Amino acid sequence: MSDKREIDPVTGQETTGHEWDGIRELDTPMPRWWLWTFYATIAWSVAYMIAMPAIPLVSDYTKGVLGYSQRESVRMDIAEAREAQSGLRSRIEEASLEEILDVADLREFAVAGGQSAFAVNCSQCHGSGGAGAPGYPNLNDDAWVWGGSLERIHEIIRVGIRSEHPDTLFNEMPAFLKDELLPRDQVDDVVEYVLAISGQDHEVESADRGRGVFLEQCAACHMESGKGDRELGAPNLTDAIWLYGGDRESIWNTVADPRNGVMPNWDDKLDPVTRKQLAIYVHQLGGGE
Amino acid sequence: MFKHEFFEKNSIFLTIGILVVVAIGGIVEIAPLYWLKSTIEEVKGMRPYSPLELAGRNIYIREGCYVCHSQQIRSLRDEVERYGHYSLAAESMYDHPFQWGSKRTGPDLARVGGRYSDEWHVAHMIDPRSIVPESIMPGYPFLAENKLSYEDIQGHLKANRTVGVPYTDEMIENAIADLEAQANPDEGDIDALQERYPKAVARVFDGDERRITELDALIAYLQMLGTLVEFDSFDAAANSR
Amino acid sequence: MPEGADMTDTGSRSRVETVDVAPVNKKENRSLYKKREKIYPKRAQGGFRKFKWFVMAVTLTIYYVTPWLRWDRGPNAPDQAVLIDLPGRRFYFFFIEIWPQEVFFIAGLLILAAMVLFLTAATVGRAWCGYSCPQTVWTDLFIAVERFWEGDRNARMRLDRAPASVGKFGKKLGKHISWLLIAVATGGAWVFYFADAPTLASELFALDAQFAAYVWIGILTAFTYVFGGFMREQVCTYMCPWPRIQAALADEDTLIVNYNVERGEPRGSHKAGESWEGRGDCVDCNQCVAVCPMGIDIRDGQQIECISCALCIDACNGVMEKVGRPPNLIGYSTLNMADQDARGETPRFRMFRGRTVLYAGMIALVGAIMLYALLTRSVMDIGVQHQRNPLFTTLSDGSIRNAYTVRITNKLHEDRTFRLRVEGLAGADVRRIGGDAGLPVFRVGPDTIESYRVFVTSPGPDVPASRDLEFVIEDLANGNTAITDSSFKGPQR
Repeated sequence: MSDKREIDPVTGQETTGHEWDGIRELDTPMPRWWLWTFYATIAWSVAYMIAMPAIPLVSDYTKGVLGYSQRESVRMDIAEAREAQSGLRSRIEEASLEEILDVADLREFAVAGGQSAFAVNCSQCHGSGGAGAPGYPNLNDDAWVWGGSLERIHEIIRVGIRSEHPDTLFNEMPAFLKDELLPRDQVDDVVEYVLAISGQDHEVESADRGRGVFLEQCAACHMESGKGDRELGAPNLTDAIWLYGGDRESIWNTVADPRNGVMPNWDDKLDPVTRKQLAIYVHQLGGGE
Repeated sequence: MFKHEFFEKNSIFLTIGILVVVAIGGIVEIAPLYWLKSTIEEVKGMRPYSPLELAGRNIYIREGCYVCHSQQIRSLRDEVERYGHYSLAAESMYDHPFQWGSKRTGPDLARVGGRYSDEWHVAHMIDPRSIVPESIMPGYPFLAENKLSYEDIQGHLKANRTVGVPYTDEMIENAIADLEAQANPDEGDIDALQERYPKAVARVFDGDERRITELDALIAYLQMLGTLVEFDSFDAAANSR
Repeated sequence: MPEGADMTDTGSRSRVETVDVAPVNKKENRSLYKKREKIYPKRAQGGFRKFKWFVMAVTLTIYYVTPWLRWDRGPNAPDQAVLIDLPGRRFYFFFIEIWPQEVFFIAGLLILAAMVLFLTAATVGRAWCGYSCPQTVWTDLFIAVERFWEGDRNARMRLDRAPASVGKFGKKLGKHISWLLIAVATGGAWVFYFADAPTLASELFALDAQFAAYVWIGILTAFTYVFGGFMREQVCTYMCPWPRIQAALADEDTLIVNYNVERGEPRGSHKAGESWEGRGDCVDCNQCVAVCPMGIDIRDGQQIECISCALCIDACNGVMEKVGRPPNLIGYSTLNMADQDARGETPRFRMFRGRTVLYAGMIALVGAIMLYALLTRSVMDIGVQHQRNPLFTTLSDGSIRNAYTVRITNKLHEDRTFRLRVEGLAGADVRRIGGDAGLPVFRVGPDTIESYRVFVTSPGPDVPASRDLEFVIEDLANGNTAITDSSFKGPQR
């Protein structure tokens, strides 16, 4: 920049002193409002750096005097939302399951809350949509080993099946082959019989022999008809739904060495409101009775 | 010393000058992330991608999924309630390049793992409209047809190791076997796979056990997304940012 | 202080006096770095001034009265004719009711309004700016109030120059209190569009209304007071984009306020009885500059500041009448008309030109589309989401069941009952959760959307992987239906 100021004769404006091919550039000042806005942004940035997390140090960074944390703020937001739900939650706590079903806003809140609790606590085994997997029951269908009424579902969530809870639902299918309760050929026969009563391909002769074994060994729980007993937690063997698989090999494995799967109890892990919400949610998945 | 007339009349120096100035901003904003301990949270459960997941991730990138799907749940209440726990930096530490994305034409996928069934993913990839009528996602039916080309998977693991992913020699050596085992658990050593890649889920993802398709790999990758970190042991207060 | 007390420069004598006034916003006088020079617009009298009073009365009446109009919509809906119900997410406009998903109606309305504005700008120029823009209307109102308290131009200038005194303070105080009252009323009327006006009004006076209402009143009060009282012409010149846009919409056949140079020049003062030979009709009295609220001299030609308020026409016509010359030395004209006039032809205003026909056609088209959409607007709707996980469920008897979330929208303000059926799946069993066999019937409350979980079961296990379905709801009262597509999933590959 040249030291002496040069004034453009036409506009009376100072020039920058630059010249390109005889054209000189005017040094028109910034509009005042623009300059002040610019200064304001600088002041803002300084204040912001002091107030908010900003400057990296050696192993950490300045937290700012406001101590703002994005993760903390989302935690507070969610806590606030829970707080806002406390009215509905206390009503659910007081209402019976049927009452919740009858009142639209309670039911909707219970289903929504149950859905999110299900995703966190139950989906690992039952699948995120409650569709289950081999060994883990499908909660959408209409087959219930221990019963599918609202109360029953609620109870199962509370005490579990074969769980550590003192009131847990419990039964144990014997391991007929492993514990040598039945010889191998009788196991084969009873498997054929189960295939027969569930309407699948089977060896007729073997199944006929298996009928006697079934009535003697299995009917006490699964009933003579093979339709099972929900009080005992004995599954219906005549329908199309199988917890551990319904083909010959799977049934054989079950008879030989059953798994007796465990459903954990949630009595001490989930609060009563969440358990009620879960029961309502599972009930409306499709299988609820 | 430097008159700006000098810069304005010498474009090379102007370019260099611009680079220097812009680089200062870049250095101030980016460089500290490399030394600040708070950048990447300490979490349990993160592991490098299994070979099948890595192959699926490559398909994810090849098909440009990141153009419409982000993989970053921001720490906002609506996002956390819809998609799950906000994403951690640790969850992207084995991503080269990361798949955060910047645009959500489709939903965020950071925690899509386990959310839908494999069958759903198969049907959805072949014809999205058959499942979600209002979807505008293009169909990828060819993924179910294309045999997964994984002869070079060891090379992919090695390349990732070069940029810092802790793949061991053992992992690289067994990459092909691990990949096949994860896609068809009946004919592979699952225990060895899960030894190397804890929580790796092995199934016939695309419902066709006869061959390993690109769809197998992609679904394996999607079903893993967001499921690795053990949030039970995540100390949210200590990792407050 | 009654207005008109100061009449020294309004030309009550036959001789026209020259007003000592500088057009402060004249291009040569103006600089971006200069402080604003206050404009003291003089009172104009004439046809256009009367028309402006009329427009002001009409527009202000519309603004203040509209929220108080009632419109009976039955028991389950508000009875306010125009209501923007943000919490309820509804927009009511007389017989029209718009839901958020129908916001395209408002978009259409805005497009229509823009087209009308374009057409106006192309034919009669800046009529919007000059007569009906809120900035113009409220500034005009504020100037009238100012004139009531402080007198006309000269009196106001004298008052501003005068040393501080009790009288001066009183006048100023009166003016500002009046302005603030108008501003509060303006902000107050605004919030009535967003809530039931009588209820809100009583709440406001009882200091019991929502905080947001007071905030908005405060904001609008501040803007009205500052824009109308202090910023005035600066809003139009520096803040409003419309002058720039309308410059592109105007052409040689657009009406503008025009000074007839041929007739007026050379200008000069004129004494009664002097000959008009060899000189222009302009007596250089500066009355046109004195009345101008924008601080320009219309004789300099078209300028971006000019809002076409036509007050200079009134002023000049008054002068022309006194000096006995024909009116409209300054008048509405187009550039082409001015040219024709200069060539001695009869000026002709061309209304129908390519762009005006195009605008009119587009207005008709958009209007017709809007009308059609409004008349065929559905009052019920169905949305169906297929459950994604699991896609289907095998039941104990082997049949396949799919689950759906069905959303039924009832836009009427009465309870309605809908029957749901499914087409495209023979023998399908459709029922809601816990429901009995037979097509499910849903009772949807007035003006609501309800969601239901619905199950569709196909007998037998042999169901193809995917099959198209149609969900149909039928209004049991009148048989009207709404349809949406979905699909039924099964295990077969």
